[in-house]
Amino acid sequence: MPSVQLNHAQRELTVKIVYYGPGLSGKTTNLQMIHQRTQPEVRGRLLTVETHDDRTLFFDLLPVFFSTQNGFKVKVKLFTVPGQVIHNATRRIVLQGADAVAFIADSRRSASPENNNYWKNLLENMRENGLEATHVPVVIQYNKRDLPDTRTDAEIEETKKRGKEPVIGAIAIRGEGVLETLHAVLQSAYRSIDSRAHLAKNIGLTEKEFLTQVFANIDTKGTALEKDFPPKKAAEARP
Amino acid sequence: MSNPPAPARDSVLQRRLSLSDMLDVPAFAEVVKGFVELYRIGIKVFDDKGTKLADIKIGNGDFCGYVFSFPDGRSSCTGWVGRVKDGPIAPVHGARLPVLDDEPAPKGLVAAPCFTGLRYLILPIMWEGDTLGRIIFGPFLPDDMRGFPSSLTEISKNFDISKAQILVEKIRRAPESTVAKVMLHFAQLFDTLLSAGQKMFLTSQMHIEATLETNRDLEERNQRLEGMNTRLKELDRLKSAFLATVSHELRTPLTSIIGYSEMLAEGLAGPMNQEQVDYVRTIMEKGETLLKLISSILDISQIEAGKVRLSFEAYDVKDLLQSSASSVRPQAQKKGVDIEVKLPAHIERAVGDKERLRQVLVNLLANAVKFTPKGGKITASLSFSDKQPELKSAGYRIVIEDSGVGIPPDQFDKIFQSFYQVDSSSTREFGGAGLGLAIVKSFVEGHGGQVQVSSTVGQGSRFTIVLPQQPTGPVAHIAPPVQTPPEDRF
Ligand SMILES: Nc1nc2c(ncn2[C@@H]2O[C@H](COP(=O)(O)OP(=O)(O)O)[C@@H](O)[C@H]2O)c(=O)[nH]1
Ligand SMILES: [Mg+2]
Repeated sequence: MPSVQLNHAQRELTVKIVYYGPGLSGKTTNLQMIHQRTQPEVRGRLLTVETHDDRTLFFDLLPVFFSTQNGFKVKVKLFTVPGQVIHNATRRIVLQGADAVAFIADSRRSASPENNNYWKNLLENMRENGLEATHVPVVIQYNKRDLPDTRTDAEIEETKKRGKEPVIGAIAIRGEGVLETLHAVLQSAYRSIDSRAHLAKNIGLTEKEFLTQVFANIDTKGTALEKDFPPKKAAEARP
Repeated sequence: MSNPPAPARDSVLQRRLSLSDMLDVPAFAEVVKGFVELYRIGIKVFDDKGTKLADIKIGNGDFCGYVFSFPDGRSSCTGWVGRVKDGPIAPVHGARLPVLDDEPAPKGLVAAPCFTGLRYLILPIMWEGDTLGRIIFGPFLPDDMRGFPSSLTEISKNFDISKAQILVEKIRRAPESTVAKVMLHFAQLFDTLLSAGQKMFLTSQMHIEATLETNRDLEERNQRLEGMNTRLKELDRLKSAFLATVSHELRTPLTSIIGYSEMLAEGLAGPMNQEQVDYVRTIMEKGETLLKLISSILDISQIEAGKVRLSFEAYDVKDLLQSSASSVRPQAQKKGVDIEVKLPAHIERAVGDKERLRQVLVNLLANAVKFTPKGGKITASLSFSDKQPELKSAGYRIVIEDSGVGIPPDQFDKIFQSFYQVDSSSTREFGGAGLGLAIVKSFVEGHGGQVQVSSTVGQGSRFTIVLPQQPTGPVAHIAPPVQTPPEDRF
């Protein structure tokens, strides 16, 4: 059972999202893109914590925060895990208390074995952390769709049928699919937390407000989210 | 068996960091000191619990000391310091928004005019949406101040304005907007220090946590393996106990079957025609085969259970080999296979478990007969040497050679394992459960000896047994195949 970080005394809700997946699949790139497109007032720095010995990463962290109409403070913490096999302990620590996971897969055919290994590793680490896969929703991103060996749309459709997780194609270096993935993973996180902590009833935070508060401060221009969450300037320009 | 979920270990990632987590406080105080000396304005930094992280004063000591020397001055001063340190960082309770004159200033800044006419600026420390503390600049002498306010001059009728005038001049005079600009610089520097500090703190904490987690994981794995090992050993023991019991239970009725068949065949219960006699003899023979098989299973299960103890006595090796060969000769003759025994003229008496060794020789000879076709030949030769190379001591060498089907070299090790057959078809063709050689090996090694095999497929096999003349220790014990690790010593 993930620990819902709902602190009534401090009127604060913390939502933890973990970007999981093999090394070099594009997890950090996802966070960089989100960082770039998010207004500085609502986010912290993109923190990258490295090990002392080499350039391998411990994790990246990007905090995004806002206050609800009811004056509840909401902090969304986006983490990435290190992909290197030897850092499993770190992956497990970062995964603790996650409310939802974005699994960043490399969509090249040659990357399938790696994706599978890390998928199994994710499930195993969830179990080790006492998180049940049924309680921690996972969203799959098929990244690097620009590369030659990438899977076709039809093949990705096939993947969708094999499980219940939403699957989103992406080219993270160009920002394509990044916000769509964030939206899907935040939506799943909200629903999962709401089913246990009844956010709408208890703190008056609806799914719509939750998502709007986040995406109102993110530049959604050119993404599938543009219609539902128009970029700020366009919104203000409206009569 | 399901593992309980890992205990909730609260990672540093799960908790809100405080300023003192992220700052190296003494080093930070040095930075503040440098800043204060450069700009000549006092700086105080508190965290959200009111803990002081830095407090560097400059210029105001004498003036404030003088004000403090009056009882009313002291109480007003204490009240105001409390307001600045703990009060809301908002334009309330005597604080107001700063006058910036279009100069850049940090967000959330408020101005707090002191009752003396001096001034403070208070800035909240914002970090990832949280207020982690406050930075206080001051007191400074606002450049728009014209004379002392009555709130100061009226603290006592003894208050000496001209003395206060001299003392206050030691405090830096500056426009509020200038101090705000300096504060912006300080806030930027502070932010950089915090993010560097946060990174360092998280890095070192994660190093520790990852190491602990790795250890925990290894320990858990070890425990699981140990548990599995214990279970396997227990299962193995149960298997051996079960086999031993079953073998015993089977032997008793089987002995009766053989016994009664024998009596029938001998005509003890009345005459039978030839066909009936043949049938009964077949029952007898198959019964004998079954009995041998059960005995082998019993032997193996006892060896595996670690229950076999050899009892050593002096015996004659020549006799033993002779009599073993005689016992398989009827089978060999029936098959048309010749057995030759080659013995040296004289040989020393040896010490060993005679019955177990007889079993070894009979097993090897019977095997040779089994796998040698009609017209083949088996030779069993015995020799003695004061120094057998394999043993580095005096001992006997018995070589049993046949002209049978042979064994492929890659099977040499495996044939000595329980229930192993060179190929499963040989079981059907030649019978047996593949236990004989496992028993041979265990018994020979229980004497401190060795068994070797060499063979050319299609031409024959040669089994060599080397036995010490005198086994070391009066009673040998055959270790069970699953080794138990030694107990912890400490
Ligand atoms: N061609 C291509 N390269 C990408 C894409 N996304 C990330 N990369 C590159 O893949 C490499 C690894 O990305 P990174 O985000 O560091 O992977 P991480 O190990 O999962 O954090 C970097 O060189 C990225 O620029 C993509 O969509 N297409
Ligand atoms: Mg990375």
